[in-house]
Amino acid sequence: MKVLGAAWDELYSVMAQMVQGLFRHGLPLTDKIAARTALTNFFLHIHPVRVRRSWIRMSYTLCLGGLSFFLFIVLTVTGLYLMFYYVPSVEHAYQDMYDLKFVVTFGGVIRNMHRWAAHAMVITVWLHVARVFYTGAYKKPREFNWAIGTTLLLITLLLSFTGYLLPWDQLSIWAITVGTNMARYAPIAGPYTRYLMLGGKVVGANALLRFYVAHVVGLPLVAFLLMVVHFWRVRKDGFSGGL
Amino acid sequence: MQDIKRLIEDSREMSRRSFFSIAGWGAFTVGSAIALWESLGPPPVGKNGVDGSGGFLNPNVLYEDPAAFKAGLPTDYALGSTTVLTDKRVVINRDPNGFYAISLICTHLGCTPRYFSDVTSDLVTQGISGIRDPDTRQVANKANPILPGFKCPCHGSRYFRDAINFFGPAPRPMDRVSVELGRDGRLLIDRSVVVDRNFRLKA
Repeated sequence: MKVLGAAWDELYSVMAQMVQGLFRHGLPLTDKIAARTALTNFFLHIHPVRVRRSWIRMSYTLCLGGLSFFLFIVLTVTGLYLMFYYVPSVEHAYQDMYDLKFVVTFGGVIRNMHRWAAHAMVITVWLHVARVFYTGAYKKPREFNWAIGTTLLLITLLLSFTGYLLPWDQLSIWAITVGTNMARYAPIAGPYTRYLMLGGKVVGANALLRFYVAHVVGLPLVAFLLMVVHFWRVRKDGFSGGL
Repeated sequence: MQDIKRLIEDSREMSRRSFFSIAGWGAFTVGSAIALWESLGPPPVGKNGVDGSGGFLNPNVLYEDPAAFKAGLPTDYALGSTTVLTDKRVVINRDPNGFYAISLICTHLGCTPRYFSDVTSDLVTQGISGIRDPDTRQVANKANPILPGFKCPCHGSRYFRDAINFFGPAPRPMDRVSVELGRDGRLLIDRSVVVDRNFRLKA
């Protein structure tokens, strides 16, 4: 009986150590614990320990950066769902898109969430850039983050453009024909750029696959990395509002 | 510039560590440059700026519809007719002085214009004057408002039946492409060969 008790104590202390290893701070019941949690937690350390109320006035930021990031998360999750049913081939793409709309349970909800969030993200990112511009928040010392931000705007637009082809209907095909022909007007590298984008001379099977790969892997990966840097710079450079 | 100067000065007495650091980063840079070259390849030259001689991302073989195809016997086409081969994006016109083929690709941004027997009367009604085909010398005016031709669905460019642009953003006429008589007596059209506007296949 004594041996069993000792074994139990041992087991309990190991379990307790494991739990403490995962939940390091307990519930943030006091300001001190809350601050320590924010400092040592990877996901919370994006928040400054102290924030002046004037920095985060809603009427100043309009939450546009946060909304853009929220929509990016929505798009990542719904996009992942869509990937279970969508095959980027000439034979299947349009049918799969139709199946998602009419056959798959809640497929229409997922597809429309993806579609509307994509439209909304282009709008919120544009407005975010406009807000930063009109409040002069791009000025020293935030020039570097402005450069990152404009690149993120470009990537948002490219994500929108590449996603446009994937339903593989007439609208998609001609929109991408027009869009890539615009690229062709660029001096010297224009025709080659178009050839690389499409993987051919017309919008066909290669183009669909290339746009898909860029849409679901290439561009989101770059966007994610730049967002990490973007948020980190926001913390380091400080908020521009409220002076 | 000063940094480079300092780097050179420092390198006179290079430590083992900085030697390996420079060698390592140098190898990484050269390797990355080679990888980039292998991906994108040398900027290709040749027809339309591409010839499939580039790197990994530049396909060497295209499984697209071949540029050349047969389009039936000359007698299949009536005199004065305009035949649109939608899937091939080619138009075959037969006039008294011969055949010619149009590449049905809008010169603005590459959509496929559509044939209409009347592409001018609404413009004439709006009071737009000076609609004149320089090749056929046909004019659309109040007395004779209707001319056949093509309208592009994307941005509204318009062309006469002979592919000359007269309205909208199209910067130049659509390309004329080669028509030959094949050995079997059928018309052989090669969309990759652009020919002069005066070209006609006598038949």
